[in-house]
Amino acid sequence: MLTLDHYAYSNRLRSVEPAHKAGLALLVLVLCLALNRPVVGLLAMAWMWGLTAWLAGLPLRVFGQVLFAEGVFVAITVASVALSLGTLPPPAGWSWQLGPVWLSSSPAQVQTALVLLTRTLGSAAALNFLALTTPIVDLVDLMRRLRLPALLIDLMTLVYRYIFILLESLDRMVTAQSSRLGYADFRRAMTSAGLLASRLFIETYQRGQRLQIALDSRGYTGANQLRVLPLQFRYDSSLLGLGSLALASLVLARLVL
Amino acid sequence: MTPVFEFEDVCYTYPGQPQPALQGATLSVSAGQKVVVLGRNGSGKSTLFLHSNGILRPNRGLVRFKGQPLRYDRASLLALRREVGIIFQNPDDQLFSASVAQDISFGPLNLGLSGGEARRRVQAAAELCEITDLLDRPTHALSGGQKARVALAGLLAMDPSFLIVDEVTASLDTPIRRQLFILLQQLVAQGKTVMLATHDLDEARYWADWVVLMEAGRVIAADTPARIFADRGLLERLGMAEPWYAPFVNGRHSAARSPNGFGTPER
Repeated sequence: MLTLDHYAYSNRLRSVEPAHKAGLALLVLVLCLALNRPVVGLLAMAWMWGLTAWLAGLPLRVFGQVLFAEGVFVAITVASVALSLGTLPPPAGWSWQLGPVWLSSSPAQVQTALVLLTRTLGSAAALNFLALTTPIVDLVDLMRRLRLPALLIDLMTLVYRYIFILLESLDRMVTAQSSRLGYADFRRAMTSAGLLASRLFIETYQRGQRLQIALDSRGYTGANQLRVLPLQFRYDSSLLGLGSLALASLVLARLVL
Repeated sequence: MTPVFEFEDVCYTYPGQPQPALQGATLSVSAGQKVVVLGRNGSGKSTLFLHSNGILRPNRGLVRFKGQPLRYDRASLLALRREVGIIFQNPDDQLFSASVAQDISFGPLNLGLSGGEARRRVQAAAELCEITDLLDRPTHALSGGQKARVALAGLLAMDPSFLIVDEVTASLDTPIRRQLFILLQQLVAQGKTVMLATHDLDEARYWADWVVLMEAGRVIAADTPARIFADRGLLERLGMAEPWYAPFVNGRHSAARSPNGFGTPER
């Protein structure tokens, strides 16, 4: 997760208007789901992978690794669609006998599985593009501009920031415990983890109080939202051009094939 | 010199605590001073600071800012916090946004400034603290020294006339600490007042023009550094008469024994 966060901050599309990136990702997602053809999903994957590599400048393997991890999960689910188990031999299609049970499949089942697989991975690729090129800060900024509820925005702002603070505390405490042999054997590891959890809870509570003091000191009255300046972004013509081309090609692929 | 802050016999006990944190603290700070507050852990420095911008309200006693007793309604507090800025010990407590630029813009926007003016203030504060290259970086990717400078920029963007620095310097390396003091010096030259808590005697001796000693929730002395450091009895009482390394100089360490161990601050 931290590596993905790092790429989101350091890619070449970082400074591009997040509305454009999110818009492209959502439109590709919707087309993948609505057009429902394997070729559309495959094309979407290729486009998103390509844009992440060429425009954002991420190594090809980064997108590949993320997509592969998602592919494993999807494949497990899709396998149950492509294959069926039964105690009787199926009337048609392919079948293999494994002791008392029959494993079977059919062209229709494989077709359904293929549609499912490509559709899911095409949609996942669209979201990967967004996640790898746009940090949470920019997405929250976009939501703020879209006038989503202030409470939601503030929570996202604080939770995202505090994930890292909490991870740092966790890291320090685990190091301190380990250096005093806190994780030397299973029993001690269990005890240490319990102490860690309770300590972390108290620390989080105290941090919350100190945060309140710091915000109040900077003139926060609690009445309105945590007000910050909107971020500034640039428009990228190659993203707009290639993005439109990608969307058009998905629709065209559905019409032609 | 006109006093900016006057604390008169301020007493405060944190809810649920048996011991008072402040028991009759009295102090007067003049405009344009460089004040260093010395005192052992738990002597009440931070508690005193939190009284200066109305976060805490005295159980007894009075705080005056520019001659007027503090009022604790929302509008008065907002006006007070526009003038009095506090930098806290741990910058992670202060930086709430993952975007450095957005975090700095928080204070100016709370003052009701327009977007354009706030943006100009963010830029100016970032230049002053030499962090313009960090504005687009995520907060969690910064080092401790960078976070401290971002926290300072967040306050300077509000243009306070009175700046309080609560034990920030201890965690900074020497070059960054030097840079911070040069910056504070510039602020004082602009007519601002700076009040700084520290455990470093050198900061009091060489930087301050007014030194405040606190013990057990009271101000026990406030004077020029020359006079404070000439008063050995006073310093001995606080265990500050000798630097920490005194027992080790010239091989004296065989005889090194603190008269009262680590001790606990008297409260």
